[in-house]
Amino acid sequence: MIDQQLAEVSHLALVVAIVLYVLALIGFAADLAGTSQRRSDERLAAKDRARAAVPAGVGGGAGGVAVAEPPSAEVAAPAAARGGMSAQTFAFGVSAVGALLHVAGVAMRAIATERVPWANMYEFATTSSAVVMVAFLVFSVRRTELRALGTFVLGPILLLMLAAQTFWIVPAAKLTPSLQNSHWIYIHIGVAILATALSILGAVVAGLQLASARHEKVLAAKVAAGEEDPEHWGRVGHVLDRLPRSVSLEALSFRIHSVAFVCWTFTLIFGAIWAREAWGRYWGWDPKEVWTFIIWVIYAAYLHARATGGFRGTRAAWLALAGFTAVVFNYTIVNTVINGLHSYSGLG
Amino acid sequence: MTRKRTTDTTPEGESAGPDRSDSWSSKQEPVGVPSLGLRGTLLFLWRQLTSMQTALVLLMLLAVAAVPGSLYPQRSVNPTLTEQFLDENGKWGEILDTLGFFDVFSSPWFSAIYLLLFISLIGCIIPRVLVHLRQLRSRPPRTPSRLDRFVGHTRIELPAADPEELLGAARKRLRRSRYRTDLREEKRSSSVSAERGLLRETGNLLFHIALVGVLICVAGGQLTAYRGQITVIEGDGFSNSLTQYDSFDSGAWFDSSSLPDFRFTLDDFRATYDTTQTEENFGKPLSFEADVSVDADGDQFSQTLQVNKPLHVDGSSMYLLGNGYAPEITLTDPEGNVVASGPLITVPLGDTGYTSQLVLKAPDASPEQTAVVGYFLPTGTIDDTGPHSSYPDLVDPQVVATVYQGDLGLDSGVPQNAYEVDLSTLTPLTAEGSDDPLLLRLYQGDSTRLPDGSTLSFDGVKRYAAFDVAHDPFERWVLIFALTAVAGLILSLFVPRRRVWVRVTPREGGGAVLEVAGLARSDDPSLADDVRALARTLGTEQDRGAGPGSTNSPEGEAQ
Ligand code: HEM
Repeated sequence: MIDQQLAEVSHLALVVAIVLYVLALIGFAADLAGTSQRRSDERLAAKDRARAAVPAGVGGGAGGVAVAEPPSAEVAAPAAARGGMSAQTFAFGVSAVGALLHVAGVAMRAIATERVPWANMYEFATTSSAVVMVAFLVFSVRRTELRALGTFVLGPILLLMLAAQTFWIVPAAKLTPSLQNSHWIYIHIGVAILATALSILGAVVAGLQLASARHEKVLAAKVAAGEEDPEHWGRVGHVLDRLPRSVSLEALSFRIHSVAFVCWTFTLIFGAIWAREAWGRYWGWDPKEVWTFIIWVIYAAYLHARATGGFRGTRAAWLALAGFTAVVFNYTIVNTVINGLHSYSGLG
Repeated sequence: MTRKRTTDTTPEGESAGPDRSDSWSSKQEPVGVPSLGLRGTLLFLWRQLTSMQTALVLLMLLAVAAVPGSLYPQRSVNPTLTEQFLDENGKWGEILDTLGFFDVFSSPWFSAIYLLLFISLIGCIIPRVLVHLRQLRSRPPRTPSRLDRFVGHTRIELPAADPEELLGAARKRLRRSRYRTDLREEKRSSSVSAERGLLRETGNLLFHIALVGVLICVAGGQLTAYRGQITVIEGDGFSNSLTQYDSFDSGAWFDSSSLPDFRFTLDDFRATYDTTQTEENFGKPLSFEADVSVDADGDQFSQTLQVNKPLHVDGSSMYLLGNGYAPEITLTDPEGNVVASGPLITVPLGDTGYTSQLVLKAPDASPEQTAVVGYFLPTGTIDDTGPHSSYPDLVDPQVVATVYQGDLGLDSGVPQNAYEVDLSTLTPLTAEGSDDPLLLRLYQGDSTRLPDGSTLSFDGVKRYAAFDVAHDPFERWVLIFALTAVAGLILSLFVPRRRVWVRVTPREGGGAVLEVAGLARSDDPSLADDVRALARTLGTEQDRGAGPGSTNSPEGEAQ
């Protein structure tokens, strides 16, 4: 039987997680803003040192993503020196607690319904955003320079959680017969959640990469034009200075997207196997199937673009974002507006 | 290519090395206009078609072309919706139909895109396979004369090391890490050239070849597969032959003698529904089960079919895909002849309560043909929204209907859907002294006399189940190729392809200078660390006898 009380507790946990995420977002944003403030003061000195440091880093040809940017070390120092907790550390801690509650909420939903917590849009959204959060936290526990991306991860996650809470929420219920009796619900949808989460992360990084590349290009042009101390995009520019360079972001984006692409491929294949078990055909051009196919093809195009002269870098990143747009469309419009066999949104 | 590549933000990992000459990228950017002549033009077109840019454009086109297939109702998926859309959209619908927007996935433009893509793919794979085969058999490339331009370059002076031994140890170590190695004697030094990760390209080729396999097997399935729909009322049977199907689709090469010989009886159909008193849950189905007794070529057994639990007989599979109610209705004419009777399949309209469309045709009724049109309601209510059912199970089954008389149009030769009737040539029976159509409401067990003297009775309800019987001889191969493709993909994305060189130069006055460097041929963030670690290990291992005065600088960059 459905344990409605536990479902209530699960809901409460998710709401508290949202509140904590808001706090963490404020923390991360304040950290970035503070950085840009201090950067304004320290810019001259930092720029000089940064410039001196760059040739060594790039010339080594390490190809690593983890190249900490000289400015970030610069900025982390003052907060530590003051002995207080930096806004970033605070935000990181709060989002960790939030993620803990988030995961607990998802788990309680699963226990309350005695099944996997991904049978409708609400559950799919809360579960996949939990995966994104956990992935982000795990990645950035040790690679602290990635924490600077916190604002850009928490923003979309909050958006998704709020959409889930306001538009997609449905009471805890049992599975409809079409989802019963099949272990493919664990495999197919589990992989789809992973794929979606990676697509979200990948899109965040690709978006930052684009902004960063543009920023670096303009700055480089200004330097070439003989400007001593070029400025671009004001405070936003300072935030970008703080992030890893576009080249590192590109490499990170590629790594995330290549895992995502493998996950999408498995989603397609497992979905096809399930469709064959349930409906007697492995492929039927149902809208959901069409859109998963579209996502897969766009990401394949992205991987190709990375290996094609003239498309590497910026243009490839746009393709990655196009792929993400397809993911969002597949998730929102296809689930709610276009009706197919995969009508499991639970929204009547 | 190199020119363009460097204009953008190029990750340092891949193109850090100066040479990519033997990579797949035989496709240079087309330089100027090709030399004229038919051969030249054809060659030029072929080069264009098999270039990466074209593959990229075709992939994007394929994605875009698939979009209308999800926005417009597709004939192959839902013909009824397509017809409805055409009816509602007049001229616009016709234009879209001519352009193939309702058959996107078999339209000429969609086919053209994917066929071009696969021609491009094949044209791209074949030369790469040849190059790759040659590469697999060749020695790792020569050690570059200057290593200091490469990744992780480390130079260590080892005054106490023996050059021969050092080189041997380096080779052994690299071999143990699954590098192919090659010893090279140079003018004043000797080196080990090592390469690893050819599996990456193997995987990539495997992936693309498997995609061709998937396409071919999908096409094979289109030609040989079949799929048919049947509807069976509880207690009735079905025996597998073409005439028994409600509808049947098959590929051009399908041979009807390959239909497996089996029959079954639907013994019982059960459905359970949620009784939780919340709007979202109430009446939602919880389970559908169909008990069938099967006789397959003399082999008899019983099985319960569920959604996701098909019946497999002799290569064919039978899936439980739908269900509904079949009320037992009898129509008797004024003379007392039964003109229509039996369980009548009704079509659920799709609401939670299973409000179902009911059409009973009695062509043999006299003096006029008669049709009973209305609804079957498992749990009937009539309110201001009209007659409907409030719960899907049989709590209070009712038939709400109007009786029509006139010409049913069955002799016109136009094929008719058994579950629909054209009302335009029929007139409804009216209650005495009124012009309004007579609305009948019958509860189970009721019988009512109509104004013209006929009798309509509602005797009971049975359930029916709808099954699809299908078989695609190629689907197993589609799966095998698809899984091969993923395996190839994983190799292609995650096996790092790299070269590592170790050069040992004898030192004047004894000892040796060790130089190690690498080249990443793919995204490979750990190469630099691995190279340095190798240098360090070799250095400490081979310099055991060294005194404290030795200059051991593992982090030594190029001087
Ligand atoms: C049926 C359509 C195609 C699909 C779905 C597809 C998919 C993919 C995918 C997912 C990758 C990434 C794997 C990797 O990076 O190693 C890839 C790589 C590659 N594809 Fe395709 N491909 C298709 C057609 C083609 C065609 C027509 C060509 C020839 C022009 C081609 C040439 C390549 C090459 C050279 C790579 C390796 C890129 C690299 O070095 O990173 N592909 N393909």
